[in-house]
Amino acid sequence: MSFLAPLALISALVIGPIIVAMYLLKLRREERTVASTFLWRRMVRDVEANAPWQKLRRNLLLLLQLLLLALLVLALARPFFPTTGIAGRNLILIIDRSASMAATDVPNSRLEAAQRQAIELVDQLPDGGRATVIAAGGQMEVPAAATTDRRQLRDAINGIRVLPGNSDLSPALTLAAALSASEPESEVAIISDGNVRLPSDLRMPATVRFFPIGTRSENVAISALTLQPSTAGQTLFAQATNYGTTPTSRRLDIYLDGSLFNAYNLELLGGRDQAIVAEVPAQVRVVEARLVDDTGSDALAIDNRAWAVSNLGDSTVVRVVGPGNRFLETALGLLPSVQPQLVPASTSTFTETAAQVPVTIFDGVVPPTLPPGNLFFIAPIGSTAFFSVTGQLDYPSLRPATGDDPLLRNISLSEVNVLKASRIAPGPWARIVVDGDGGPLLLAGERDGRRIVVLAFAIQQSDLPLQVAFPLLISNIMSYLAPGSGAEAAQLAPGQPLAIPVDESITSVRVTLPNGELVDVTPQNGQAIFADTIQFGAYVVEQRQGDRLVGRRRYAVNMFSPEESRIAPQSELAVPQTSGLQQAVTQERVGRQEFWRWLAALALVVLVIEWLVYHRNGLIYLRQRWRARRAA
Amino acid sequence: MAEPLFDSTFLRKLDRLALLTRQIMAGDMQGERRSPRRGSSVEFADFRPYAVGDDIRQIDWNLYARMERFFLKLFVAEEELTIHLLIDSSASMDWGEPNKFLYARRAAGAFGYIALSSLDRVSATAFADTSRQLPSVRGKRGALPLFNFLQNLSAGKGGDLLATCRRYVQTNRNAGPLLFCSDLMDDNWQEALRVLSSRQFEVTVLHILSPQEISPQLDGDFRLLDAESGEAVEITADLEALQRYQENLASWRAEIERFCNGRGINYLQVNTATPVEEFVLSNLRQRGVLR
Repeated sequence: MSFLAPLALISALVIGPIIVAMYLLKLRREERTVASTFLWRRMVRDVEANAPWQKLRRNLLLLLQLLLLALLVLALARPFFPTTGIAGRNLILIIDRSASMAATDVPNSRLEAAQRQAIELVDQLPDGGRATVIAAGGQMEVPAAATTDRRQLRDAINGIRVLPGNSDLSPALTLAAALSASEPESEVAIISDGNVRLPSDLRMPATVRFFPIGTRSENVAISALTLQPSTAGQTLFAQATNYGTTPTSRRLDIYLDGSLFNAYNLELLGGRDQAIVAEVPAQVRVVEARLVDDTGSDALAIDNRAWAVSNLGDSTVVRVVGPGNRFLETALGLLPSVQPQLVPASTSTFTETAAQVPVTIFDGVVPPTLPPGNLFFIAPIGSTAFFSVTGQLDYPSLRPATGDDPLLRNISLSEVNVLKASRIAPGPWARIVVDGDGGPLLLAGERDGRRIVVLAFAIQQSDLPLQVAFPLLISNIMSYLAPGSGAEAAQLAPGQPLAIPVDESITSVRVTLPNGELVDVTPQNGQAIFADTIQFGAYVVEQRQGDRLVGRRRYAVNMFSPEESRIAPQSELAVPQTSGLQQAVTQERVGRQEFWRWLAALALVVLVIEWLVYHRNGLIYLRQRWRARRAA
Repeated sequence: MAEPLFDSTFLRKLDRLALLTRQIMAGDMQGERRSPRRGSSVEFADFRPYAVGDDIRQIDWNLYARMERFFLKLFVAEEELTIHLLIDSSASMDWGEPNKFLYARRAAGAFGYIALSSLDRVSATAFADTSRQLPSVRGKRGALPLFNFLQNLSAGKGGDLLATCRRYVQTNRNAGPLLFCSDLMDDNWQEALRVLSSRQFEVTVLHILSPQEISPQLDGDFRLLDAESGEAVEITADLEALQRYQENLASWRAEIERFCNGRGINYLQVNTATPVEEFVLSNLRQRGVLR
């Protein structure tokens, strides 16, 4: 413990003697003559039997006053304990609000603990110190930017809610780096459980301190829930994973369209999963799985529920223009809600609207006029309005883009060899998903409201169709081009926008949220985009032509994120800094926890006690009255 | 000249009262009270054989006729009683509102007057460091000297209660009812009362306390000075201390009462806030001291 204003202690030397002097002056008693001190002597004799305490009692007021003085002087001296905290004047607070922060292993939740820690840090700011609050996870937000207003900072911190998205700290750290570079004495404080994705190439110009939150790692989550058509009806596949380390048991309740269907007892070893496969009737539309935790050890509740929807019967027509491709047709045939429509390669006019045929695949052909809807070009032989073909590549090697492109989900392309591919110069709309030597091999992007994917090589010109990656790639591509047609088509990650290709004849698209709320989306440029998929659960999307319902699809938004479900708190965070440190600083006692308020509060209590002691006669009188009343 | 002790209406009321004694006691002169001695009255007491020198007028001749032997017929003697009034005039008595000493004098006066009106002898003594005595008076004529004596008494300094009592008992030959007016605020009160009750005195203790002693109105820190010795006691008078004082007082009075009951002493507590008239006319009669 040290003092910020030790000079205040001197005041005790001045006031203390004054109190003692006043007390000594007051000790001169009033003299009064009585008939005889006979009875008083007797009384005093009784009293002196417990003299030490009596002596103390006589001096009680003095002692209390001295105590009061001591407390007040101590409070004035502003004592503090060094704590883990911050030392700078410009604080950039990054608060993780990803789903794992909803874990309840610390009181209330990790997010609340983080908020408490953040407020503590804000309280430690020196006078005139500024702070910026960044909420990371999902969409990054900055609820308070470089402000000295503590109330605003507190409101901003307390306003942060868990956002079930990924916990990518890159944008937050990039912003923090930019903010701290321009401001001396900056410090970046990351309050998180440590289960975050960090940028690898960033070097922070300021000290980065990490305040780890969380204690336990016990969490069981539903890691997969799908509904697939089968011969008898539908096959339900549910998988629960124990992300903790200790074996535990759970009950998995399966609800079909809201009513309980079955319950399974699961015994889960640490780090292992267990799957359930069940046949359910064909008419089931929505399946909900709930993990029931009787042990009370589960720290994260939001991943204990999952939904799967069935769109059986509603399939997307995919037009395949080409000479015929057995691999492609087989892969498409595996997709439950895709209905391939084979069209001869010579076809050049397309009359159907985008609502009737949302996706067209050109396998080795490029017609002079392109049909409406989303397009998938395989090994294009000529240029189109979207790209131009400039030549040919021989034996290109495949270099998938970094990051997790949805097209490459669950796919490894490292074993794939390509004989030759078209050299393609992409337009600015396209992102390169797989790069090759001399030109991109897989492109994807959006232009004029339509999605376009280009695969630069013919399937037959590679060993891709012989690999596991092929059907998955086709499934991913179809999920991208026709949302709701791939194997996981009806599954959305939270926050992932829902883009529904629509016809000109569709006047409105109505989305029913899991909580029953209705949202009307107006289609624009041939598609309706609904982005507010924060809630977990089943969404119903209805397409309307005026008052007429023309199509209904269901989507399920689930977490299914091992990153977030793995809630084991990390004690260190690798954030390289320009000072040479490779780790964020943890547990360094540079903060100052002042506690003069507590001393002042204690002084107030002592003051009240002193006052009560001074008026003890009144108290005794009240007590007697009370006793008399109770006895009566 | 101090104010008169009583007004005439109160004295007329006192005329109707008489002193009760529990024991039969001997006196010097003929009076109105039964004496343990034989003497001349109308009440027959006993016979005894004639001895040479006896008054032959007292021989019962009827008995001689029957028994042929001389017997004297004896009668109960009726004699006066000496009432002792013992008043503590130490400085501690001259205190309180109403004053304890005045109260003691008035109570003693009333008592003495009642005795005088029934032809008893009254002897009054005030004692402090020195004692002053009224030579015994008798009959209603003695009332005036008694009242004068009491009126002119003034409180002295302190005094040794035990020594005074011892001297009084030794010097006074005629035992009789004794009224002891004191606040008993002396460490030797027990010993003093024992001395008084050791002879044939029929002791009545009038324990006089002022309201200020019974429930002191003090609040704060005080240095209490003894009126007699000047001794100081420092107290912090809070409600709790006063409560303890009260408990102490009660136990002290209970102790005195127990002591007196054990020795046949009549113990009367009186608060000077009670008017003397009321005390004499009702309390004393209730306690069987007066009739």
